[in-house]
Amino acid sequence: MSRRRVVITGMGTVNPLGHDVASTWAGVLGSKSGISVNELFDASTFPSTFAAQVKDFELADHIDNPSEHRHAGRHCGFALGAAREAWEQSGLDRCDWLDRRRLGIYLGSGEGSLDFDNFTSLMIDAWENGRVNTGRWAELALKRMDLHREVEQESNMVVAHLARQYGVRGPAFNVLTACAASTQAMGESTWQIRRGDADVMISGGAHSMIHPYGVTGFNRLTAISVRNDQVETASRPFDMTRDGFVLGEGASVLILEEFEHAKSRGAPIFAEILGYGASADAFRITDQDPQGDGAAAAMRGALADAGVAAHQIHYISAHGTGTRQNDEVETKAVKAVFGEYAYKIPISSTKSMLGHLIAAAGATELITCILALRDQILPPTTNYNTPDPNCDLDYVPNEPRKASLEVVMSNSFGFGGQNNSLIITKPPQ
Amino acid sequence: MPMTEEEVFEKVKETLVEALGVDDEEVAPQATLTGDLGAESIDFLDIVFRLEKAFNIKIPRGELFPDNVLNDPELVQGGKLTESGLSQLKQRMPHADFSQFEQDPDVNKLGDLFKVQTIINYITKKLNDS
Repeated sequence: MSRRRVVITGMGTVNPLGHDVASTWAGVLGSKSGISVNELFDASTFPSTFAAQVKDFELADHIDNPSEHRHAGRHCGFALGAAREAWEQSGLDRCDWLDRRRLGIYLGSGEGSLDFDNFTSLMIDAWENGRVNTGRWAELALKRMDLHREVEQESNMVVAHLARQYGVRGPAFNVLTACAASTQAMGESTWQIRRGDADVMISGGAHSMIHPYGVTGFNRLTAISVRNDQVETASRPFDMTRDGFVLGEGASVLILEEFEHAKSRGAPIFAEILGYGASADAFRITDQDPQGDGAAAAMRGALADAGVAAHQIHYISAHGTGTRQNDEVETKAVKAVFGEYAYKIPISSTKSMLGHLIAAAGATELITCILALRDQILPPTTNYNTPDPNCDLDYVPNEPRKASLEVVMSNSFGFGGQNNSLIITKPPQ
Repeated sequence: MPMTEEEVFEKVKETLVEALGVDDEEVAPQATLTGDLGAESIDFLDIVFRLEKAFNIKIPRGELFPDNVLNDPELVQGGKLTESGLSQLKQRMPHADFSQFEQDPDVNKLGDLFKVQTIINYITKKLNDS
């Protein structure tokens, strides 16, 4: 028996370049930067004073019942906005026979934010002789802790809010494998449908770490760019002058659907998911395996699952964070998998414009892959001016490029060594 | 400091608008917290927390919204409150209006006892007693 085929019937996104798919794509093709000085908190004394922020987002502009989600975290609001766009685009809002028990959700969503001011003031007030006096802490925290903020910082909350919003009664999951999360979620959603556990899956991811704790953590790890004098062009994947990724935020949601189910309701079909590969580095926490074996294994896994040969891949949407290490290791891994053909495949990183949306990165980048297939155009890697001898492939510098595309790959690698690759193709005829 | 019932209502209304994200006009005295205003369990805890701050009072656990009523077999049988259950609940909730509920003390309708007026009665009494 042939395998159940999985297609994408809806897309939605809220990110630093736009609050929907159309404006995001216009931004990408216009080589725009979503990066600016941090306005979410005063970061003027931080090593990194800037970020890729979602600006002017109002949940009420996206859904009719914002008060039902009034306690939702910042990233969850983005996800509700993205989900509505995807849901309506797929026509599921008009499908009166949809079996909710066959509708599942699998997100790669990040944790919410800490109730920073409240938490800090509690710590200060309970501080005694160089440590937190837990008795005093309990006394104060029981009086002052915000219940909703406490609940909503759990990483499964976005799943809960979206399930409620769309009446999801089937399987529900969240995976939080750092920067690989939403790519992994879409790969695992594909398997939910292939296995027959669901006919429709809401997938994607959401994350916002642009808060004092998140920024300090990445600064301490020296993972993010400190190019405070040129913030708009600070994200420089594969460029010799790259000095780290730019922290971003946002959400992207995709509707994955079994092909016959989609056809039977006349749904728009944007792409087919052909293959998914996953691997672990089993190396260090914040260093990738320098040989790129884990990354290569994920790409090979996706190729094998898709049943396509390496030379059939026409474009790779790179993880391409703009850290010294990732871009070099990813380049090495692509060469290991594709051999001499690696020099002929266009590879780009839209993180140069979007920033790094962490858990939401993979889903947002897959949307750009789907639109690249649709419009037969390659998104660029912007801010690429100085070649690095260790990164010597075709990174589609600075301007989008016309191309003939059938099958494309998207990579995501996470801190801790989780590697995921997806392969998609044009809608089945 | 004693307040009039009208003053208490205004402050309760403010609290509920903030806690439940509802509109001013939805917070009528006869509105039920669960049915009309969409409160869920976490909201009951949040409301108590906010009332304590708004009125600068201490609300002991279970006093405004009693808990542990439903798991005593003496008090609940076949999904309905027994006579002793009903009288115990009345004792614990002198601030609630039982006239409708006691005609059919179905535990599923227990939520209807928690109206905006119930909170107003409780707070008014609390302030006047202190």
